[in-house]
Amino acid sequence: MYTLPNYLIPDVLLLVLPILVIGARLVCKKSSSIPWRLANLGLVATFILLNLIPLTNNSGSYFLSNWRVDDFGVLMREVFVLSAILGTWLAKDYFNHGADGKPAMMHLAEFVGTLMFATFGGFIVVSACDMLTLFLGLEMATIPMYALTAWNKKDQYGSEAATKYILMGSVATAFELFGFSYLYGFAGSIHFDQILAAVSAGTNPLLWIAILFIFCGIGFKLTLFPFYTWAPDVYEGAPSPVTAVLSVTSKATAIAFLVVLIYGPLAAIQEQVAPLIALLACVTLFVGNLGALKQSRLRRFMAYSSIAQAGYIMIALLGPEEMTKTAIVYYIFVYAVANYLAFFVFGVIGHYREESFDSLRGLSKQNTLLAVALAAAMFSLAGIPPLAGFFGKFHLFFSGASTGHYFVVAFAVLNNVLALYYYLQVIKSAWTDDAEGELSPIRMVKRQRFAIIALMVATLLLGVLPFLSNNVFTGFTF
Amino acid sequence: METLLFNLIWLIPILTVLVCIPVPGSKTNVLKAIHTFSGTLVLALVGYLAYHLYTISGTPAHESAAPLLLRFFTDIPWLNAFNVHYIVGADGLNIFLLLLTAVIVWGGILVSYNIKGNQKVFFALIQLLATSVYGVFMSMDLVLFFVFYEMEALCMYLMIACYGSGRKDYGGKKLTLTLAFGSSMILATLFGIYFEGGVNSWSIVELSKVTLPMDFQMWAFPLLFMGFAVSSSLFPFHFWSPDGHASAPTAVSMLAAGVMMKMGAYGCLRIALFLMPEAAKIWLPYVVLLLIFNVVLGPFIALRHKDLKYITAYSSISHLGLIFLGLAALTPVGLRGASLQMISHGFLTGLFFATIGMIYERTHTRDITQMGGIMRKIPFLGVGFVIAGFAGLGLPGFSGFVAESNIFIGAFQQEDTVTRIVTILAILSITTTAVYILQTANRMLHGNMPAKYETLTDGCFREKLVVVVLVLCLLLIGIFPGWICDLLDQSIAPIFAKISQAAAPVVGG
Repeated sequence: MYTLPNYLIPDVLLLVLPILVIGARLVCKKSSSIPWRLANLGLVATFILLNLIPLTNNSGSYFLSNWRVDDFGVLMREVFVLSAILGTWLAKDYFNHGADGKPAMMHLAEFVGTLMFATFGGFIVVSACDMLTLFLGLEMATIPMYALTAWNKKDQYGSEAATKYILMGSVATAFELFGFSYLYGFAGSIHFDQILAAVSAGTNPLLWIAILFIFCGIGFKLTLFPFYTWAPDVYEGAPSPVTAVLSVTSKATAIAFLVVLIYGPLAAIQEQVAPLIALLACVTLFVGNLGALKQSRLRRFMAYSSIAQAGYIMIALLGPEEMTKTAIVYYIFVYAVANYLAFFVFGVIGHYREESFDSLRGLSKQNTLLAVALAAAMFSLAGIPPLAGFFGKFHLFFSGASTGHYFVVAFAVLNNVLALYYYLQVIKSAWTDDAEGELSPIRMVKRQRFAIIALMVATLLLGVLPFLSNNVFTGFTF
Repeated sequence: METLLFNLIWLIPILTVLVCIPVPGSKTNVLKAIHTFSGTLVLALVGYLAYHLYTISGTPAHESAAPLLLRFFTDIPWLNAFNVHYIVGADGLNIFLLLLTAVIVWGGILVSYNIKGNQKVFFALIQLLATSVYGVFMSMDLVLFFVFYEMEALCMYLMIACYGSGRKDYGGKKLTLTLAFGSSMILATLFGIYFEGGVNSWSIVELSKVTLPMDFQMWAFPLLFMGFAVSSSLFPFHFWSPDGHASAPTAVSMLAAGVMMKMGAYGCLRIALFLMPEAAKIWLPYVVLLLIFNVVLGPFIALRHKDLKYITAYSSISHLGLIFLGLAALTPVGLRGASLQMISHGFLTGLFFATIGMIYERTHTRDITQMGGIMRKIPFLGVGFVIAGFAGLGLPGFSGFVAESNIFIGAFQQEDTVTRIVTILAILSITTTAVYILQTANRMLHGNMPAKYETLTDGCFREKLVVVVLVLCLLLIGIFPGWICDLLDQSIAPIFAKISQAAAPVVGG
């Protein structure tokens, strides 16, 4: 009898889960929270199962010939699932209230189901061993996001954002398919091993055209310069939990895609691609930082901040494989924690007032917990020690510097000063500006309080507790 | 045992913050008592360790800490992913800087009893700031050092922006961003030092055993040195300090000018000069040119200012310039003078800002043109201010004299003509310092007193205690410089040995 390998259990669970959740929605009463609870339970179970998979072998375990589970894959899966859990928590409150002046939304169960499908897309990307699977994964991660962005049918900005996102996304897909087809033309195969063999044997312009187009395609999804322009509008228009998921899961999927590609089939020419990566990284983080300077709406601000973060992440790709993978997993993890912390705070505030810098005024006097959490999130995103964000960035820069790209690293750290400026703006609004008039009291439900405190503690301790950063990476050997 | 106590220095402030979390913010007296106790405890601890280090000096230090004479040495692996270790230790220089910090933090807590706003958060931030400064002076691992070094920016911004006065957001941002700019230059270079050093270690001790490639040193040294110099307000990176100090609350000004600005100079000496002595020999003569602004123009600017904090800030800029003059001299006497100046200036500027803060609390102005004759009403604080001034202008008997004379002698031993010219200018600029300090004290304390100051009261016991302790520190170093110089010389010897061993530089190499 054929038995399923243990390492595939989380994948199968996550594939079945959304169907179960949507099924439960059909049998339960409309107002029942059973589907949501089921989704949560399933996601937490998946997260626990993922943590039980031992990280030991670097070559990974193959299932069929095009599905591979390696250490990087397992750790990225953990990030995806964590993001999904936090996303569903955010969604729960948003569905009850409909923050930021937008109408409340319907169909929580389907929403959560769709979110889980997007998460599964990320699973596919990190497991892919051929171009077709990789492409399927990327689309699987993206298409549900289009639907999620447009979820609130009554909100015209949401529809506009979704339209923009779909159009831009399809163009990106087209670019990517074009690049893939050239790659196939070059190597004569879609399997990574054979492409790697062909690339190792020698390069020609066909390969470079393919790489260029693939980078254009992924540039859209990773919000790299010059393809980042959709992000602020979509982040602004989408419902708040979707924005949070977009900024974490989508980004993580896109960066995982690049890692899989660059250290997989293109490993032989990684050093030749490095100048392109360095350039894209520097320009992106600079543009993102510049863009964030003048924002007054919180979510547009977060969009630009996440564009800049994409630039920082790219720097890690300059390093050798093990270091890069460690750096990226760690950074995405830390980034997810800080980003969700910020979105939870914005979410709570969004229930009572508009999501803008002005509405943060007087927060420190009104609710110290939220103000401290916001400061922790912002300082972590800005990369100020001893918060986790610093160690995350340190990993990225360490990876970049290990191959001698000191000037890229120097440019990035100098840009951090620019970034610090706008993160300070947020902190200033919350801590020093006085509110105009009387503020309506802010109430948090237990789940929100728990999430905010847990994420805040994680932001404070994730970097400095050695066993966290050391043990996560026992699978990777230097 | 002492090693364990040594590690507690930076932990106690953090533990204090944790202890205070459950205390309700309205119980300010309990909070103040806890924080004062914690500050005193650390002060006693550092005092004991300094005494211990003094009594054991001469006996061999921990083997793995050689060539530096580090005591209380601890080395525990921390972040294995990039070979970061938790390495702390202290020699004579560090222990005095720690002692200085402990005194200033203790004083800072005592003078902040009447701070307006959320006192719970304020005291927590002071303790976190103290942690970061202690950490900097204790760490012997570059990453650990950097983590503590940058952490102070976080606390500093929140303290200035929330509890400061005047253009507090502007001042706070200017300070934080300029310091972050310096830190970013440092961070970029640290990666280079790690990878070019080739010993897979961030330990200052380990890295000091290798010679970094010359072409790397040539660009890394100025970046690292200037990165550190930003926090010590070396021209052209001095602009943050007047606005930052002016808008900060008293305790933060004391900490910023008294201790934090020394972190940069300390970094220059302990890391930049020590790890890249070859490049230091090439670049430092150029740094001397920058000092003309600090030591010569700084006092002139102070002369024109009316705001007490601006005057003190510019006087700090000029005094810190002298530290760099001592460093640039690259002679044992110069280095000793620089280290002494770090400690001496810490106490004197702490006293300056403490008395200014106390006077401001009473007069509600820092503009000297609006004051006059207040010496009659607040003689104790007035005398404290004048003593700080005297120490600042280098009156014999106070610590400033010992430090400055060492720097000038050390700098003059350097045969470079430019250094000698700058030294002469610096000596002459003391006259300007004397002018602005006497002028300020005269305008503020003597003459006709506006009627509104009739009700002023002199310092309370708590304030007097802070002033007395700071004055005693100044006098102690001034009158008995021998024992402190002995310890400093021992600590500087390895650094100077490294500098003198460095191959004669080839310019352009």
